[in-house]
Amino acid sequence: MDCKEVRDRFSSLLERELMPPEEKTLREHLSSCSECQRELERFEKTMRWLGSVEEVEVPEGFLPELYKKMEERKRRSAEVKKTELGWFHLPISFKLPVQAVAMVAIVFLVLYLTKTMPTEVYRLKDARQTPSPLSVEKKPEQVLTQKEVEKDQRIFETTPETPRPKDVDLAKAPVPREEKLKGTYAPPVKTEAKKAEAPSPKAEITAYQQIELKEAAGAKAPSPEVGKIEKGLVAGEKSIVTSKLPQEIILKTSEREKMIPQLHELIKQFGGEMVTAEGDMFLVSLPTTSFSEFEKELSGLSASTKADKVVAKKQIAESLRTAPGLRREGVDEKRKAPSKLSADQEGRTVVRILLVPE
Amino acid sequence: MKTSPKIQKEVIESCKAGNEKAFAEIVFHYQKKVLNIAYRMLGNFEEAKDLAQEVFISVFDSIKDLKEEIKFDAWLTQITLNHCRNRWKYLKRRQYFNSESLDDPIETEDGNIPKAIVDPSDSPETLYEKKSIQEFIQRGLLELKEDQRELLVLRDLQGFSYGEMGELLGLPEGTIKSKLHRARMELKEVLEMSAH
Repeated sequence: MDCKEVRDRFSSLLERELMPPEEKTLREHLSSCSECQRELERFEKTMRWLGSVEEVEVPEGFLPELYKKMEERKRRSAEVKKTELGWFHLPISFKLPVQAVAMVAIVFLVLYLTKTMPTEVYRLKDARQTPSPLSVEKKPEQVLTQKEVEKDQRIFETTPETPRPKDVDLAKAPVPREEKLKGTYAPPVKTEAKKAEAPSPKAEITAYQQIELKEAAGAKAPSPEVGKIEKGLVAGEKSIVTSKLPQEIILKTSEREKMIPQLHELIKQFGGEMVTAEGDMFLVSLPTTSFSEFEKELSGLSASTKADKVVAKKQIAESLRTAPGLRREGVDEKRKAPSKLSADQEGRTVVRILLVPE
Repeated sequence: MKTSPKIQKEVIESCKAGNEKAFAEIVFHYQKKVLNIAYRMLGNFEEAKDLAQEVFISVFDSIKDLKEEIKFDAWLTQITLNHCRNRWKYLKRRQYFNSESLDDPIETEDGNIPKAIVDPSDSPETLYEKKSIQEFIQRGLLELKEDQRELLVLRDLQGFSYGEMGELLGLPEGTIKSKLHRARMELKEVLEMSAH
C-alpha cells in the first residue's frame, strides 16, 4: 500500500469502516512513513476542529418575526392579485361583453387604418410635390375646376354638331371661354347650374347688344348677364367688358376735316347711326345688310382710303387698350365668332372707324 | 436531530390541515437545525436567520403538497439546501464574500486578533479561543466548493447518515463517502494554507 492509498483511507480509518486486514496494512505503513503519519495527525486535528464546532442558538423572537413576514407576504400577494390578476377573478358575465366590445373596436380600427392608409400616402405624395400646405388644399379644387372647364369646353366645341337650338348654345358659349381666359377661376357648382339655365334667346341677344352699346358709351358697368357670368371673378376685374368686338375700318386720309362730315352723311345714308365719336375714332352702328355697301362707299370717299378688316386678336386688343374710356382685356379670337354671330342675328353691325393721317 | 416520525406525522397532518399551532410546533422543532445548516453554508448569522424564516414560509406554503409525511425531514432539509444554494449564488453575485477571507484578521469579543499561526499542529488551542477556532473553521468551509461544504455540514456538523445524504443528494453511498473524504482533505489543506 503506497502513501496515496493510505491517505485516501484516512476517513475510513477514523470512522472505523476498514476491514481488520486492511487496517493492519495501513497502520504498518503509517509506522514506517513519517510523512503519512504527520498527514494523519493533521487530518485528525481538522476533524476534531470540525467536531468542536458548536451549533448557533436560535435568536429570540424568531417565530414572531416569522409570522410578521408571513403576514406581510400575504398582504403583498393580495395586493398583487387585486392589481395585476384582478381581471382573472372578475365574473365571466362582465368579462365577455368587455372582450366583445374590445374585439369589435379592434376590427373597426384595423378597417379604418387599412382604408385610410392609401389616401394618406396619396396626400403625402401631394405634400411632397407641392411646397406649401395651402396649395395642397387648393389642388383638388383646381383639378375640379380644370375638369369642369374641359367639360364645358367639350360641350361648346360640339355645339355646332348637336341639334340644340343656337340660342341656347350662344347663351352658354361665352361662359367657359371667360373662365378659360381667367385661368385660375374656380366657379362654384351653383353658379354653373345657373349658367346652364339658358335664358330666352332674345333676352340673351339683347344683353349682348346692351353691352356693346354701353361699351361704346364708355360705361363700365356690365349688364346683369355679364355680372352673372363674371360672378366669382376678382373684384378688380369686374370692369372688364366681355362683349363681342366690332368690325374695324382704318381710313387713311390727308383731309380729316372734310372726311368727317362725309362720314356722317354716309352713315345716315345707310340707315346707321354714330354711336360715339372721340377724336379720330368713330363707333358706328349699321344694318348688317348694308355693311358691305357702306364699306365700298367708305373706300370711295377717298382714293387713298384703305379698309382693313382687323381680326387679329392682338391688334384689336392693342387698339382697345389705347382707346380712352373703352378698356378691353383678355379678348380672344374665338370669342369674336359668337359675338359677330349675335350681331348678325340682331341685324346690325358695329363698325369702328379710325381716321389715320396719310 | 432525528425526530419521532410518529409524532411528527400527526403534527404534519395537522399543519397540512392549516393548523397554525402545528406549524409553530414544527418551527420550534426544526428551527435550530435549519438555522445552523444555513449559517454554516452562508457564514453569516443574519443571512442565515432570514433564510431559515424563508424556509419555514416555504414549508407553510407547500406542505399541503407533501405526500409522504414520513419523509418530512428529508423534504425540509432539501428545501433548506435549495434556499442555501440560491442565496449563496445571490450573495456571490453581489460579491458579498469578497471582503472576507481567511487571511483577514479574525474578529473576537476582545477585538481583532492578528493571525499568527505558523503551524496548525502547534497547539492552535493556545493561539485561539474556542470561538476563534470555530470562526476559523467557518472561513475554511467558505473557501471550499459549495458541494464539498454541503457534505461536511451534513455529515460532520449535522450528523446525517450516508444513507440520508445519498437520498438528499441523489448519489450512492460510496460516492458520498469518497466525495466527503476529498472535502475533508481539502479543508485540511485550506486550513494549513491559511495558517501559513
